[in-house]
Formats: sequence, C-alpha cells, structure tokens
Amino acid sequence: MNQHPRVHQRWSYWKGWPLLGKGIGALMLLLIYFPLLWLALMSISERPLSGIPLPLSLAHYTALWQDTRWIGPFGASLAMALLIGVLCAVCATYVGRALPLTRRPGRLMLLLVLPLFIPGMSMGAALFILTRTVLGLKLGFWSIAVGHFIWAFPFALLIIMVLTTRFDHRLIEAGADLGASKWQIFRDIELPLLRPGIVGAALFGFLLSFNEMLRTLFLRGTTETMPVWNWIMASSQQSQVPIIFALTTLVLLVTLPLFLGLFWILFVRLERQ
Amino acid sequence: MNTAAQAPILEIQDAVHSYGSVLALDHVSLRVEPGEFVSILGESGSGKTTLLRLISGLEQAQSITRLAIGGQSVIGKPPAQRNCTTVFQSYALFPHMSVEENVAYGLKVRGVARAEALRQAREALAVVRLEAKAQRSIGQLSGGEKQRVALARAFVIRPALLLLDEPLAALDEKLRIDMQSELVEIQRSLGMTFIFITHSKEEALTMSDRVVLMRRGRVEQIGPPVALFDSPSSLFAAEFMGFENLLGGRVLDTRDGTALIELANGTRIRSRVGGDQPLQAGVDAGIAVRAEHLRLISAAGTNAPAGVNALPCEPSPAAYRGKYTERWADTPAGRLKLRNWEGKNVDVPSADTVIWEVEDSIAFPA
Repeated sequence: MNQHPRVHQRWSYWKGWPLLGKGIGALMLLLIYFPLLWLALMSISERPLSGIPLPLSLAHYTALWQDTRWIGPFGASLAMALLIGVLCAVCATYVGRALPLTRRPGRLMLLLVLPLFIPGMSMGAALFILTRTVLGLKLGFWSIAVGHFIWAFPFALLIIMVLTTRFDHRLIEAGADLGASKWQIFRDIELPLLRPGIVGAALFGFLLSFNEMLRTLFLRGTTETMPVWNWIMASSQQSQVPIIFALTTLVLLVTLPLFLGLFWILFVRLERQ
Repeated sequence: MNTAAQAPILEIQDAVHSYGSVLALDHVSLRVEPGEFVSILGESGSGKTTLLRLISGLEQAQSITRLAIGGQSVIGKPPAQRNCTTVFQSYALFPHMSVEENVAYGLKVRGVARAEALRQAREALAVVRLEAKAQRSIGQLSGGEKQRVALARAFVIRPALLLLDEPLAALDEKLRIDMQSELVEIQRSLGMTFIFITHSKEEALTMSDRVVLMRRGRVEQIGPPVALFDSPSSLFAAEFMGFENLLGGRVLDTRDGTALIELANGTRIRSRVGGDQPLQAGVDAGIAVRAEHLRLISAAGTNAPAGVNALPCEPSPAAYRGKYTERWADTPAGRLKLRNWEGKNVDVPSADTVIWEVEDSIAFPA
C-alpha cells in the first residue's frame, strides 16, 4: 500500500515527445499533399517525365481535350458512380431503418458489413466465377455495377446506421398520433433527420465506385472504366503518361471537394443537430 | 350541463393486453364523459401507460369488447384515424422543425393550407403563452416551454380527447405546480376532455374531476378525488392515498353505511364503509385511519366517550416536524402513528387511550 510510483522511468518525462509528435504530423501532411501538388504542377509542365516542372505549358490539357479515347471510360465511370451512389442511398436507407428494429441487429449487421473485410480480389474472383462460368453470363457494365455495389453498400449502411440507431422512434409515434400516414411520417420526419446520413451514403457510394479498380478488373469483360483506362495507358505507352497526369489532376479536383463536402456533412452538420 | 343525455366521449369495455407473460391490462373498463378531466393514477407497471396507448392506437389491444371515441368504434384503426392526440412524456417534439411548425404539423397532415395552419398554430401558442417563441427551434426551449409546445401541438387540431402521458414528470417542482393549474385552466377554456396519466397522488387529486386508480393492470377504484382521498375501497387504495394506520379484523355487522369490526385482540371498532361495495357480516375487513385523526386522551380506566373508537395505548414522546408533531402509540392492535397540527401545547398528561371518530375510520374488504 501507499507505494510511490517508479520514478526511474526518466524517458517518459522527456520534453521532446510533443515536438516529435508535431514533427511526425508535419511529415505525414507533406507525404500526403506534396505528391498531389507535384502531380498538379507536372500536369502543366511541358516535360513532366524530366522531373523539372519548367517550362510550364497547358499542352497536355489541350492534348487531353483533343484525344477522345478517355471520354468513353470517363463517361462509364461517371454513370457507374452515379448509379452506385443512388443505389447505395436508397438501399442503405431502406435496410438501415429496418435493422435497428430487428430482433438481433448485431448479427445481421455483421453479415451485411462483412464485405468490408473481404479482399477485393477475392470478391472479384468469386463474382467472376459465379457469373461467367456458373451462370454463363456476359460480363460488362452490369457485372461491374454488382461488384461495386457489394463493395460500397457496407460503407453506406454504416453511415446510415450512425443515424438510424440513434433515431428517436417516439417521434414516429408522435407523427402517427398527430394523424400522419406512414409515408407522411417518412417524408416529413424521418427523411429530414436522416438526410445527412443518406447524402453521406450516396457520396461514399459514388466515390468508392469511381475509384474502384480491383473488382472491376475481374468483372469488366471488355468495358473500360476510367481507372482501368488510366492503368492500361500508363502500363503500355509511355507517351500517354502526360495526358494521364492531366486527367488524374482533373479527377482530383472533382473528388476532393466531394469528400470535403461529405466530411462536413457527416461531422459538422451532425454535431450541430 | 345535461350530462345524462350526452354520449360518453370514451368507452372502454373489457380491455385485456399483455406483454409476453406480463398482464398489463386485466379486464379494464372505463367511461369518460365530454369535458371531463380524468386522471389515471398508478405506480409504474400498473398498466396506465398501456391503457393510454390502446386509446391512442399506438398499441392494439389483444382483446377488447368495445373501444369508442365520440361514439365511434376505433378498434383496429391506426392512430391517424382516431380523434385523439397525445402529449408525450418525452414531449417527442420534431427537432428539425421550428416551434410553430411543430404545432402546425397536425393541421398540415390534415390538408390545412400552410398560412392558415401557421395562423392556428400561433393561436394555440398564445393559449400556452409562447407566441413570442413561435419561430424558435426546439433546442432553444426550456423543459417547461417544450412541455407547453407539446400541449399546443396536441390540442391545436381540436381532438375529441386529449391524452397526457405524465407530462409534468420531467419538470422541476415549482414549474410542475404552476403547470398543474395552467393545465386545468387550459382544459376548462378549451372545453376539451383530458385523460391525464400520472403516478403522483397530488396531481391526480388537485387537477381531476375523476380519478382512476390502477394497480397491476386492474382498476382499483374510480371516483372523484374526494371519494378516493376520504373513502378508499381497498387496502391498496388506502395505502396509496396515504392512510398511515391500517388495522385488520372481522365484520360483525353493518348498519347505515358503517360496519362494526372486531380486531384480533377483541376490541370493536365502528367504521364508515369506503367505496361503493357494502361489507357483509363475517368477512375479513381492513380499517384505515389518518394519523391526524387520532387523538390522545387520559381515560384512566373509565370508558371512552360514546360514539368514538378507542384503544388503550402507550404513547411515545412527540417528535417535532416543523409544522406539526408526530408520535407513535403502541396499542394491543399494533403501533399507530399520530400527527398533531395544532402546536405543541396539546400534550395530554398521562395519556393512555387513543380515540377517533367513526367518520374518520374507513372500512373495506380485506
């Protein structure tokens, strides 16, 4: 009893720890953002593969504009991402509202979010075998969509569940008591309160689909999405690389604000409620 | 008021409901007349909230012979098709709507135009003295204000019946007492029928026209507050109404609404019979007496005054309680509690008998 703590652990009192923490943090920020900024810089450099940014030029953007080959894959990716975003928002809202009311929500939840932990190549290969060899179907846009949906749905569900598990069901009773039909209750009470989660689910679905590569490789047949097209270009023809720099910079400029918006909705708006 | 000719606003006949193996309502029947303020009083688990949920339609009874609001059967109908609204204990205000939007919601789902709905909502808010906060968000309101918004939201659609589920339970004491009289005033001015759920004896007694005392899913006693307070019909009702002294015996005979009861030690006590049920000679009965109705006298072996009940006793010294004094008296029938509100100079030297009036002694079947 009443023993003093061991005092010889001098190292735990070292003044440098907080400084070291700040240093590591700064290094991480540099590691994340320097390559991205360098990419953006190189996309407006005349000879990006030389390693020297100067002289600057918009030639690659012009080339990108004149080259129409990327428009097909870009369009496919965009359509796919929009489809997956909407599907995720609708399905995750539907399932996410029902799940907390089931008898054993924990087990169902685990089964539903398990695809998060299934390696992409395993899921891709499994779906490939099922559709191609067992069902004998032709791969293409729809099979990619299935793979993307399986991949994105758990994320969407998790986001919705943050709100539905905390949802005060007495509000639904109050609505019914005041004379609202089930549809009116959903539209007037549930939807506005779940909106941040629904928007988050749609954004996550969109972004996960837009960036997906691994599952797409198994399920694409001959369809090209943008990540696939970029990869084919980068691995086959050196001369195409500068166009890819320009294209990936554009993609970054689209996706980054989307992600920022998502986090603002999820963390700022939710905290305010 | 010609109440006899009017149809009851609420009729419940033989409602039975259980949760799993727990019987929440055990053959409950109730009639409420238009304009009444009826309190349903009981401890938690007595079935009072279940009864309210059956009326509102948030729960459907497992078995019920009749459930009618304003003369129309509502058995099987969803809450939206019943002419009643609820003030929830948790208030259940919609956090994403302003105060006036909350109040206008019941009108909105009834298809009232937005401008007209908001006008009526502000009128209702004026009744609860909150018109100045119509545009506030719910999060900016205090507990008492939320309570009043919930009330306005419920009565703005002019339901035949307003159900209040322990609406004052979450308020602090001073606010609760203010809201008690405010609720009664609002009920009177709207001329609406209120069914008020509470576990507080004081609330039920001070606010209601009638009190329904519930216990373990059954109606224990129904009556005006004064009947419940002065004439409990059972041991439970007597205990719940705060009778401190409870005795038990056997009925010897009954006469003019009183019963002569012999205690275990042979003492005979004459008591008024509580409730509506007459007592039969030969049955076991309970007797309840309030502590303030017992008095000490020095009988010194002589007989007690005629027409009063008397028990020999050994009193303990009085304990000072501020506004009153309390003491115990040991009698052959057990220990009795006495309370004296008349100051400290009423000590009877060598007191050896406790007496009380027949009128202050209530008998009921044990």
